Amino acid sequence: MDALAELSSEQGYEATKISDIVRRAAVARKTLYDNFSGKEEVFLGAFDAAVEEAVRRVERACAAAEGGWEEQVDAGLAAFLGYVAEDPALARMCLIEALSATPETTRRHEDAHQLFVELAERVFPKAPRVPPTTAEAVVGGVERIVYREICEDKAGQAEDLLPELSEFMRGPYLHSGAHGGANN
Amino acid sequence: MKSLPRGRHGLSREFVAQNQRERLLSSIAECLHERGYERSTVSAISRHARVSKSDFYRHFESKDVCFAAAYDDSAERLRTEALAACADRRDWSGGVCAALAAILAFLAREPARANLLLVEGLRAGPDIYDRFQATVQSFVPELADGAPAPASSGRSPEAIDEAVVGGVASLLGRRVLAGETEQLERFFPDIVEFVLTPYVGTEEARRIVSTR
Repeated sequence: MDALAELSSEQGYEATKISDIVRRAAVARKTLYDNFSGKEEVFLGAFDAAVEEAVRRVERACAAAEGGWEEQVDAGLAAFLGYVAEDPALARMCLIEALSATPETTRRHEDAHQLFVELAERVFPKAPRVPPTTAEAVVGGVERIVYREICEDKAGQAEDLLPELSEFMRGPYLHSGAHGGANN
Repeated sequence: MKSLPRGRHGLSREFVAQNQRERLLSSIAECLHERGYERSTVSAISRHARVSKSDFYRHFESKDVCFAAAYDDSAERLRTEALAACADRRDWSGGVCAALAAILAFLAREPARANLLLVEGLRAGPDIYDRFQATVQSFVPELADGAPAPASSGRSPEAIDEAVVGGVASLLGRRVLAGETEQLERFFPDIVEFVLTPYVGTEEARRIVSTR
């Protein structure tokens, strides 16, 4: 799965062949087929594992953050950007290649996006004056910025954008008669 | 779009060709909307446009080429309507509201094009996906033009422009995917508030929303 992430980020999903994957991963073709039915399944396996790991890191960071929802937002965002920076090839696979590789990977990306929207909704304060679609828009905006960083080969420095993105995420919820964050 | 009369009609060859091309471009969006990308074959698209398959290939060498042209055509129409709505740039927030209203009205009125631009188009492979991203990107400088500096302490406040545009695109895509295309205009106040907040603050953004 790591081999596919590297290869698809170097040359795109379409151009990546099973023979490239087994060579890069230094496994026998048979080993691959014992575990996966084909290239798409390897891709989805890697994608799901990465999303699971990202969600786990963000949740853990939010839970460990001291203070209110603002600190949780920052901690969750930092954990997400940190994961992107740690493995730019995997980030490219999940946030660029997945969107257009196959119809199934596109659907899987939409599901993952939904997971992050729900995660954000749990952290943001329950503010009756904030429109219900705000969390969706905010998560979409963060994804867009990370997308651009990956395109410009700056995923390794994704954490540099923490201040801007933190303000972007918090902004709509400030001065909103907010009462209580995720833990309250 | 109506097909032309059959038989001798005295219309110029250029006129016929142009009409066929436009019919194919709007047909591919409708076909896609009804059948999805895989099942939108050249035969289905041609039949829908009332154009022969050989005429199809006179205009486009393949389904993908037609698809890319249709994407660009729809994106250009959306952009034109949005920019026409905010041609007077003296009032930035008023212009943003007008452009957003025009975008929502266009998408709600043209559900097949909305689907092409924001959802199904992305499933058609990397080439169309790049066009989607380029279209989103093209709105970033338009938003930034005349905008008050966002209240940002970071080093790249321009990232805010991009995050705002990306957030709107993502929200619209998800609403279209959820089958709410024709009701998109009811998200107008939410979207305006989201877009204006980083620049003018929540309170002022809500005040502007309440006056519209």
